[in-house]
Amino acid sequence: MKELPVKGFKAIFLRSVLQIVRRPLYWVGFFMLPLFFFLFLSSLMEQGLPTRVPAAIVDKDGTPLSREITQNLGGMQMVDLKESCHSFTQARHSMQEGNIFGFFLIPENFQADLMAGRKPVITFYTNMTYYVPASLLFKTFKTTATYAKAGVAMSVLNAVGGEADPALLLPVNIVSRPLGNPWLDYAIYLCNSFIPCVLQLMIFLITCFSLGQEIKYGTSRRLLQMADGSIFKALAAKLLPQTLIWIVVVVFMESWLFRWCHYPMHGSWWWLTLSEVMFVLASQGMAVFFFGLLPNLRLSLSISALLGVLSFSLAAFSFPIESMYPAMGIFSWILPTRYNFLIYIDQALNGIPVYYSRVWYVAYIIFMLLPFTMMWNIRRCMKKPVYVP
Amino acid sequence: MWKYIKSLFRDLVDEYFNEFRFVFHDGGIVLFFCFLPLAYPIIYSLIYNPEVVRDVRMVVVDHDRTAASRELVRKLDATQEVWVTGYAAEMGEARHAMNSHECYGILEIPAGFGRRIGRGEQAKAVLYAEMSLLLRYRGFLVAATNVAQDMGSEILAQKIDLTLPLAATISTGDPLPINNVSMGNIENGFDSFVMPGVIVLILHQCIILASGMAGGARRENPLLTGYNPTRPAKSVAMSMLGEMLCYITILIVPIMFLLHYVPLIFSFPMAGNPVEIFCFIMPMVLACLGLGFCFQGIVWERETVFVLWVVTSVAFLFLSGLTWPRYAMPEVWKLLSDIIPGTWGVEGFIKMNTNGSSLAQVRPEYINLWILAGVYLVLGYCVRRWYVRPKLWRKARALQPAPAEQQPD
Repeated sequence: MKELPVKGFKAIFLRSVLQIVRRPLYWVGFFMLPLFFFLFLSSLMEQGLPTRVPAAIVDKDGTPLSREITQNLGGMQMVDLKESCHSFTQARHSMQEGNIFGFFLIPENFQADLMAGRKPVITFYTNMTYYVPASLLFKTFKTTATYAKAGVAMSVLNAVGGEADPALLLPVNIVSRPLGNPWLDYAIYLCNSFIPCVLQLMIFLITCFSLGQEIKYGTSRRLLQMADGSIFKALAAKLLPQTLIWIVVVVFMESWLFRWCHYPMHGSWWWLTLSEVMFVLASQGMAVFFFGLLPNLRLSLSISALLGVLSFSLAAFSFPIESMYPAMGIFSWILPTRYNFLIYIDQALNGIPVYYSRVWYVAYIIFMLLPFTMMWNIRRCMKKPVYVP
Repeated sequence: MWKYIKSLFRDLVDEYFNEFRFVFHDGGIVLFFCFLPLAYPIIYSLIYNPEVVRDVRMVVVDHDRTAASRELVRKLDATQEVWVTGYAAEMGEARHAMNSHECYGILEIPAGFGRRIGRGEQAKAVLYAEMSLLLRYRGFLVAATNVAQDMGSEILAQKIDLTLPLAATISTGDPLPINNVSMGNIENGFDSFVMPGVIVLILHQCIILASGMAGGARRENPLLTGYNPTRPAKSVAMSMLGEMLCYITILIVPIMFLLHYVPLIFSFPMAGNPVEIFCFIMPMVLACLGLGFCFQGIVWERETVFVLWVVTSVAFLFLSGLTWPRYAMPEVWKLLSDIIPGTWGVEGFIKMNTNGSSLAQVRPEYINLWILAGVYLVLGYCVRRWYVRPKLWRKARALQPAPAEQQPD
């Protein structure tokens, strides 16, 4: 039987592989949690948009005209008229209990007032506490009200003897063309940003955890010995198995998102894959940098967790960076996942030439170079491992 | 009997004070109890604090160049949502601007736009929106709809007047005014929408992480459990109760800060009754403590809580139904969300805090939280009694002969 090497790159590599294989925690961190999130996020929003928003109508008029409006509203795709309330208070209570997300109020004497030109007011209420369903509801309510209004205008025109031209329903029409995601699919928008961000968090945590363990249990001295005192060799061999696993995971993620879930992919696979691979290296670089900054298991994990979780907001996946306070927005540029997101937008969603995303690729390289500024500190702490709880 | 009760009570008091000593000697747990609930919500709220997305950049390609097309552009530029940064000569130039991330939308006005309006036909313009962020698209859509309707009703009024001058006497202006009211989050702000939920989740995660880390610390050094072979074992229930009381004592200030002062500082909607909100959140705290005790079963080391638990925050945020409503969730995920205390905590809290529901109106959530608290505490008891404790004590017994070397420094 061939003897296992005790020193050198290969020996550290094998030692690192064994550490990963033997500890169930790594299995959870490398595979189970990321896979759970792939499945969870993409199947949660499978429907694309949460259609059939529960809503109510408060018809205080009860005339043919108000019933027609109710019917029109009930026929819309987005709403599900669950309740018919007698009063504003009843509808409000129902909203507070969370049964409905909004309601449409037709006032008393609606038809009579309208015919007499006394200008009744249609009011609709949406519960903006829940942003997404309320926005959909708002759109539907507004459309219904506008149609009702147009119907009235047509009959006024007819009454005064003019010809009622259907073009007058909407004399100016601004047609919107949502590029890349014409279905306004929420899953496309969220999964493509949140899933890589989950991976970034896990890469941060696992890298810092595996390095911190060496110091906590005082095995770092042995690690340095195996690498003949070269910190670069020690780190490279220690982290290479993790890099390989993460690359497999991101490539799987890519195929999951764009092949299995059929999210829009209008660009070149090569550039996107390159971006994902560089993203893994950049995240690992950032994590090693954190560890060099605070070579202590708990503190480096704390900062990884802090930044990793804040990334979901700071990287501006939902709230645009130009709307944030500049002092906050600037932090989004120190996150690898931000560049992953920008490249995904350019290369997959919009499919524009890679020329426009060149800067983002360069940014990855900066993250990869970051740990080299901290090698001296990691080496110092690995030589004299002290565990501070 | 009396003696038994007395010994139970002594265990409880003992454990209560021991736990304080234990927590305050552990930097990691102190960090979870202080930094997490105090600093985190501030940082988080600051990110979203501008609330609304204003002035999204747009480039116009105007093939018409008439008064009507200029009016359309002027009106769009005047909305809160859109900022027309400039005109492009043709689509190629506009696309270059969009690809270079200089604008997020292109408005193309075809030739003949003004003429069609004059003729009484429908005039169309096309708005191409970049779809990276839905909030930007939403801004464009709202602005475009408002401007189109505004211009439309002006044209309509003109048309009615032109048809018959007397029509103005029958109907002036808008025959059917439409009014819309946003409830709860009245400013339609993003911060006020997402933060109340996040606040509750921060509390949720803070308790579970701290309790998990405490469990990990004990496993690493079982002598911290107060193992003493000369004394009869402490009651498991009492030691759990003691720990819970200790955590709750420490958490009173953070809870008040999170649920009352954070919304106050960032002026989130605060329609609820603070006392009722406090009552509502108590069962969630208990359920989280119970979940924490269960979690201790799989934490072997203080730091593993980071790897195992931090990422769940994201899942809990989605499961709570804040962003993706519960009615549209697949059944499996709805079931999973049912057994997480955070789901009901978030639901109930935003209903009370933002929509001003009373405790009676969030009865289903409140009852669910109590059920979860009961279940998790019982489960936690089982885990502690039959799994964690025997394991710890075996290890402690092995370590006992040489306690001097095991002293933590």
